[in-house]
Amino acid sequence: MMARAGSVWFWLSAAMLVVLAVFLVYPLFNIVTGSFGTGSRSGWSVLLAEPRYLQAVTNTVMLGIAVTATTVVIAVPLAYVAARYDFPGKSVVAILPLITLVIPEVISAQTWLMMLGNNGVFTRYLADHGIDLPSFYGWPGLIIALTFSYYTYVYIGTVAAIRGFDSQLEEAAQSLGTSPVASRLRVMLPVIMPAVLASALLVFTLVVGNFATATILGGRVPLLSVLTYQAAVAESGADPVMQSTLASVSIGLVMLVLFVQRWIVSRGRHEVVQGRGAKAARMRGLSGLGIGVAAGIIVVISLLPLATLVAGAFTRARGPVMRWGDWTTANLERLFNNAPEPLFNSLVYAGTATVVSIAFSTLVSYLIVKKRNLLTPALDYITALPLALSGTAIGIGLVMSFNAGWLPLTGTAGIIVLAYIVRRLPFGIRNASSTLYNVPNSIEEASISLGVPPVSSFLRVVLPLMAPAIAAAAVLTWTTTVAELSASIIVYSGGRETLPIQIYKLIDSGLMAQASAYGLVLIVVILLPIIVATRVFRIDLFSSRA
Amino acid sequence: MNAEPVSIAAASTATPGLAIDGLAVAYGGQRVIENLSLTIEQGCFFTLLGPSGCGKTTLLRTIAGFIQAAEGRLLFGGSDVTRLPPHRRNIGMVFQDYALFPDKTVFDNVAYGLRARRVDEATIRRKVAQSLDHVGLGHLAARHPAALSGGQRQRVALARALVIEPQLLLMDEPLSNLDAKLRVQVREVITELQREAGITTIFVTHDQDEALAMSDRIGVMNRGRLEQVGPPSAIYREPATGYVADFVGAANLVKVTLPAAAAIGPVMVPLPGGVVTARAPATVPAGHALLVARPEEISLTRDGEGLTGTVRRRQYLGGRTTYKVELPEGLTLAVDLHGDRHDAFQPGDLVRLGFDPLRTLVLAS
Ligand SMILES: Nc1ncnc2c1ncn2[C@@H]1O[C@H](COP(=O)(O)OP(=O)(O)OP(=O)(O)O)[C@@H](O)[C@H]1O
Ligand SMILES: [Mg+2]
Repeated sequence: MMARAGSVWFWLSAAMLVVLAVFLVYPLFNIVTGSFGTGSRSGWSVLLAEPRYLQAVTNTVMLGIAVTATTVVIAVPLAYVAARYDFPGKSVVAILPLITLVIPEVISAQTWLMMLGNNGVFTRYLADHGIDLPSFYGWPGLIIALTFSYYTYVYIGTVAAIRGFDSQLEEAAQSLGTSPVASRLRVMLPVIMPAVLASALLVFTLVVGNFATATILGGRVPLLSVLTYQAAVAESGADPVMQSTLASVSIGLVMLVLFVQRWIVSRGRHEVVQGRGAKAARMRGLSGLGIGVAAGIIVVISLLPLATLVAGAFTRARGPVMRWGDWTTANLERLFNNAPEPLFNSLVYAGTATVVSIAFSTLVSYLIVKKRNLLTPALDYITALPLALSGTAIGIGLVMSFNAGWLPLTGTAGIIVLAYIVRRLPFGIRNASSTLYNVPNSIEEASISLGVPPVSSFLRVVLPLMAPAIAAAAVLTWTTTVAELSASIIVYSGGRETLPIQIYKLIDSGLMAQASAYGLVLIVVILLPIIVATRVFRIDLFSSRA
Repeated sequence: MNAEPVSIAAASTATPGLAIDGLAVAYGGQRVIENLSLTIEQGCFFTLLGPSGCGKTTLLRTIAGFIQAAEGRLLFGGSDVTRLPPHRRNIGMVFQDYALFPDKTVFDNVAYGLRARRVDEATIRRKVAQSLDHVGLGHLAARHPAALSGGQRQRVALARALVIEPQLLLMDEPLSNLDAKLRVQVREVITELQREAGITTIFVTHDQDEALAMSDRIGVMNRGRLEQVGPPSAIYREPATGYVADFVGAANLVKVTLPAAAAIGPVMVPLPGGVVTARAPATVPAGHALLVARPEEISLTRDGEGLTGTVRRRQYLGGRTTYKVELPEGLTLAVDLHGDRHDAFQPGDLVRLGFDPLRTLVLAS
């Protein structure tokens, strides 16, 4: 259905564009223009002049490449084995996608620290037995923690590609005289390659934008996101010009990678063969056991943060010193009795953001998919913009734009909610659009032809069909916003700490037991809706997740 | 199908069920329908027939109001609806993919339009039951569309469109998703219900059999224009253009040159290897013209009157046999023989071709 210029839908599209212009384009514009500085000091000349900044850019790119490589090395074989073989313990591998959802990065970084940091439980234990581990801060910590935070993205993408691969092609290759292994490499690899590359590049962009792990485990390795954050909020030495410049660099870097990714996906599209997937082959005996053990190790490592967190939350601590083995509920009691505000803040902010975000993205997706008009391409592109913006950049843009002036939001809860919504926007739109594409236009036209006006037709026949997907999107939005740190930590003001912010501050002060208690609460807050949705309402959370 | 009466058309009232006047429709800047005018009598079953992409769906959706006309006017039963939004046009629509509401039962699907009209529940129950019985689905009212067969879904869609007693019933290739046998069955259901309700109907198809079998009148479309409008027998027997002749049924189209302009009536037409007598349904100017002969209107004999040709190929089809007969100058004609010993000729046989002087037409090219 094509909406005419001048129709209700056209004006609605225009109104949405105005909203997006104010809350997304304008902040982005401020970041970029801010980088040129005022007067003679341009951020770009400073960037080129100070080795620290260039070093940070190089480090960030190198870290991105390294983590992209390690995630591929871990995830692709795991995905292959999970898609093609049955082996003991395979059902455990199936819970992998949930792990990234459930463990916020700040918690994952924190627990790695609790295990392998200077005061880590393993570090201590090995030191007591005369083994000195190299310092975990810096490259080793960054690469290990980020790898285990992100490899599931590659895993999910690759499993989907292998499942969709037509195994008849493989048989065809074998019938033409290539050996099974060779035909697999020659026929399957090129077909699943675009999917693997696309998800690997996604990991790269996540690494570039990552703040929590970078700042907690980065040690003396300067990284773009950390320097940007410091330029934005440092008590002394905040540098408004450099915050814009560094944020612009990260935006440019991610945009570049996203363009490459889009190009790969569009090139790979014609290669996606809708075929008969192979049946999983049963693996018994030693090789089955071997695969089971290898996959099991990965799963266990992925779950270690969770175990550490729970243990930490119930372990007595005196200041920064954890007394492992001395169990207590004091940490949680203190949380609920003395400082429960972060919990309430998180619930209110993430709840509001989820409701607004779902409503907004449903409406905008509907306009994009079903009411195409002159303004549709603009809506389409602008709503995808936040993909290129790290949380830090979004936070900076919002603060620059709504600090004072006609819409002073700084210091309010509104700016935190806004940051959540902006970060989540592309995912919400993608979710809603993919469902809408599956609702044929004729359904709506049938309703209109039967005498129901367009808007109520949408409400009466389209919306009910979208309901399961909307519920799934709401749960995913909730889980990601309630764990959000990098944007909210820039825009929040005293008294408005959320759970992740509180955790971050406690980690910063070395109070791991308290941090674990808040972490545990955060995990529960994330998990509850997931459990209710999947167990009680039987909603498939991953069906429409791109 | 030959002499179908067209009586229903003129029956009830002098105001036409639908009048289209100088209609033009464009996508973006591109005109898809240009200056189209058409009048459809009240209660008529009108079929739009044409190849893929000729603008049938576009025209239908413009009538429904989903597409706004760039120019021209639309009148339903005499009143101008050109600017009326689709939900206020009181139309019934049957979609190619049925477009049943998947989350509603069969009953609720059919009741939907009545509820929108705020009919009271008792009346709704009665009308829905009645109309479901009509399409033979009374026992399935509580089911969801997913639990129905294709033919049943199609009939629910039909009941849903008819129960609101629309002023105009619009159907866009409603049978194309059904298998061959079901098509014929549902075809009959549709025509029967339409006759009974007497609702002016526009039916879109690119299947000529469907068009010939179901319609009171057919409009043959080509590239956004109506080439010819008329009852099925006229469309088949008296195609106004070579395009119509070719699209509806099979036809031999031969480019010929007339030495002089032809008036309405018999014309002598020079062909390679002789002259045949044909009929001009309208005046034809001198020069290039088109000879139209249906394969079944040509006769073959071993030594009778007519042009001489050689049988080149032969395709035995049970009830009839199709021959390709070659004439001088590389002209090849298709000939269909029915009846006794229709398979008597063999490739290589020399034959005489006879043309029916009334059924062989000459048209301006
Ligand atoms: N939304 C659109 N935008 C631009 N052009 C369109 C659009 N829809 C249809 N067209 C063009 O308009 C012309 C008529 O299309 P239409 O769908 O009316 O054909 P149709 O006769 O219904 O064909 P079919 O038998 O295949 O359904 C085609 O050339 C088509 O490419
Ligand atoms: Mg069509």
